Amino acid sequence: MTSSGRPGSPLRPPAEEDEGFVRRVLLRPFKSRHPGTMPAGLVLVIMVLGLSLAMVLNAGATLRKSNAKGDGWRNGVATVIATVSDTFQFTFARSRIDAALGKNQGSGIDAAELVRRQQEAEVAQQQADALEAARRPPVITAPTAASPVHLWVGGDSITQTLGASLQRVIATTGVFTSTLDYHVSTGIARPDYFNWPEHLVKGVLPKDQPSILVMMFGANDGQNMTDLQGRALQRGSPEWLAEYRRRVAATMDLLKSPTNDRLTIWCGPPPMGPGSKVKGMDEINYIISTEASTRPWIQFFDTWPFFSDANFQYTLEAPNADGARRVLRQKDDVHMTVVGADRVSWAILNRISKLVDLSAGRIAPPASEAPPPEIVERTEIPPTMPGAE
Amino acid sequence: MLFPTIDFAVFFMVVFTGSWVLRPHKVAWRVFILAASLVFYGWWDWGFLYLLMASIGINWLFGLLVHRALTVDGERTPASLWLVRIAVVINLGILGYFKYFDFFVTSIAERLNSLGISMSTPVLQIVLPIGISFFTFQAISYVIDIGRGHWREPLSLLDFAVYLSFFAHLVAGPIVRASEFAPQLDHLPDPRYVKSAEAFMLIFRGMFKKVVISSFLATQVVDPVFRLPGAYGRWEVLWAIYGYAIQIYADFSGYTDIAIGIALLLGIQFPLNFDSPYAATSLQDFWRRWHMTLSRWLRDYLYIPLGGNRGSKLFTYRNLFLVMLLGGLWHGANWTFVAWGCIHGGYLVGERVVKERWVGHEIGLPPKLVTALQWFLTFNVVCVAWVFFRAQSIGGAFDILWQVVAGSGTNSGVTALLIFVIVASVASQFVPNSFPRRVELWFGRLAPILQTAGLGVGLLLIDALGPEGVAPFIYFQF
Repeated sequence: MTSSGRPGSPLRPPAEEDEGFVRRVLLRPFKSRHPGTMPAGLVLVIMVLGLSLAMVLNAGATLRKSNAKGDGWRNGVATVIATVSDTFQFTFARSRIDAALGKNQGSGIDAAELVRRQQEAEVAQQQADALEAARRPPVITAPTAASPVHLWVGGDSITQTLGASLQRVIATTGVFTSTLDYHVSTGIARPDYFNWPEHLVKGVLPKDQPSILVMMFGANDGQNMTDLQGRALQRGSPEWLAEYRRRVAATMDLLKSPTNDRLTIWCGPPPMGPGSKVKGMDEINYIISTEASTRPWIQFFDTWPFFSDANFQYTLEAPNADGARRVLRQKDDVHMTVVGADRVSWAILNRISKLVDLSAGRIAPPASEAPPPEIVERTEIPPTMPGAE
Repeated sequence: MLFPTIDFAVFFMVVFTGSWVLRPHKVAWRVFILAASLVFYGWWDWGFLYLLMASIGINWLFGLLVHRALTVDGERTPASLWLVRIAVVINLGILGYFKYFDFFVTSIAERLNSLGISMSTPVLQIVLPIGISFFTFQAISYVIDIGRGHWREPLSLLDFAVYLSFFAHLVAGPIVRASEFAPQLDHLPDPRYVKSAEAFMLIFRGMFKKVVISSFLATQVVDPVFRLPGAYGRWEVLWAIYGYAIQIYADFSGYTDIAIGIALLLGIQFPLNFDSPYAATSLQDFWRRWHMTLSRWLRDYLYIPLGGNRGSKLFTYRNLFLVMLLGGLWHGANWTFVAWGCIHGGYLVGERVVKERWVGHEIGLPPKLVTALQWFLTFNVVCVAWVFFRAQSIGGAFDILWQVVAGSGTNSGVTALLIFVIVASVASQFVPNSFPRRVELWFGRLAPILQTAGLGVGLLLIDALGPEGVAPFIYFQF
């Protein structure tokens, strides 16, 4: 595409052709007849070299993202490039920048191992009375206005609206105090991004000391994971489901109180709308419900029916107890509207009232906010839902 | 395929090479670019390709029929007029089905239910194909331009397919007219003079706006506050409102910067789509600077056919208001967009009334202060309108605005970094256009090896400063 010395050529005169390509073309300021322009071939060289440079400089971060969402060959390529870049210390600058910005640089394996170690410690500590304690449901002292029970609600960004509604709803009883603790874009698939088990054990339980926890994850977990051996697991594969189950179970075990005075309401994620591209919520519900069924201190709460139609398919809107149809989900088909969050919050309070003596409080859901009485949790959670997103 | 991804980088290396190698071969180059564009679009969902190809086939056919129905001098005939109308109805019908069907049925059902007539709503949860509005608008402009006699010859099917599907502008504009694009298909750009410096700067700027600025504001303040305004203090809500104004600008103009840069690397020139809109001192000025290709489309294919300003003042005001109202509805089936259009339409009319009444009147203030006040007012009106644009419902928008007045709280979300990003972004609107041009020229004079290093380090910083992953561009949904 270029021929130096030819009339109209943007390159240098023939005298410079004796020099090597790199020195002649790459190292010297380029002088074109039209300022700011270059031959297409040279532009290609700059782009390829520039992108390659960016690739090796960002190799560690790219591998981290690829482990989470990359599939097949992309992950293989990212691993090779990261290995080479690490060997030659090309990732040094990026690591320093990430450290300065406070970004977690974990590969995902460390956090998972931390969970495992925590789990082992807990299991060792509880081993003596584990079997006996595991069979007993938690005992929460009946709260009163003078001695309210503390409820912690947390999870991903969906919990922002849900948590705020639940706080408002339980406040009407007069026997609760509460904390809302949500973190956007989080779940249990990416402990390198936000480590929920660690946060619960090191932050929530010792600092908040809640007697009741209400939590929800799942909407951000539709991505690849790394198992304890460091293998990338394809989202939805049997290995992925097994690893997700392991993490759910480990987190549940971490929430067991040695004195059996803590109750966790683990809400399954609701169905997601077709515009959201979020899939696999039915599988996550199944995993949580089955793991919760063997742990009396964990109560699975089925949000699905409150956000679906008669066939348990996603619905954007539905009638409340007063018969008026209202929009339950936000435009993104993922997050709840305040109306949707109120609807399910009253149902959660209803569930809590069956597990904890709330007779000292007042529970009076307005018909405009509460779900109709025929909407109830499913008695059995299927492994998959036909047509579910 | 999203622009700021490794997938696209690899895709573009192949397309860039193939495009310049095949450029001298007219048919081969067109087939190559068409294939590349279809791969780019199909990457999201291969099913969308059926719709795109149907749009290409239908509109090309109508273009041909309309042209044949004109007189030999290119004058309109009743047949050509009817063919244009049918083509417009078909295009708007397809667009309406995908964008408004659910909204329409639900609204009717609600109305009937309120009258005591029970009606179940067959909500289909129709998935909106990405970029449908943009290629539909381009297709409509093509058929209408032929009907107006602007084209002596319709494009060949291959040329039209390349025009409508060209990947750089396919999913979020700019809305390029066939009369701007088609001549560039025949014109052979000189491969020795690729406008690389301008293109690299545009792409870098666009990626910085999208990946760093837009994502930062979205996660830091805009999304949490708009999701639940009651949980935030007044200053957090106020900065979230300003933050959203910057976010949507950074997101959308960032996309078009990248699109224009990419097209430029292939030797294709796109029209400018944004020109420092937040420096505008009136709403009329704002619309000359914001999404300029849509403004131009609305003017030529809506405002002028409605009668434009060829009538009484009231007639002109009506047309202005209608155009903004329909422009609002174009964004989607939600009353919030209607409100957004009404605010813009109403304010534009008000602005005209005030100008016609007060032009030439001295108000005794220094001109610079008047300009500053005009800017302040315009910017804040635009920001208030954005609240309706972003909110989930009309009530939600009022909740947010009320929170600015009545919100209490710690306002701990207002950080120095947040204020700096927003203020610096607004200030950047006042940087003269000659400055980026000087930077481009400086960059273009660097040795290629330094340009390479600049590219690599630039991408390092953008990736490091941005969040994990890249959210889709806001305007993809329209």
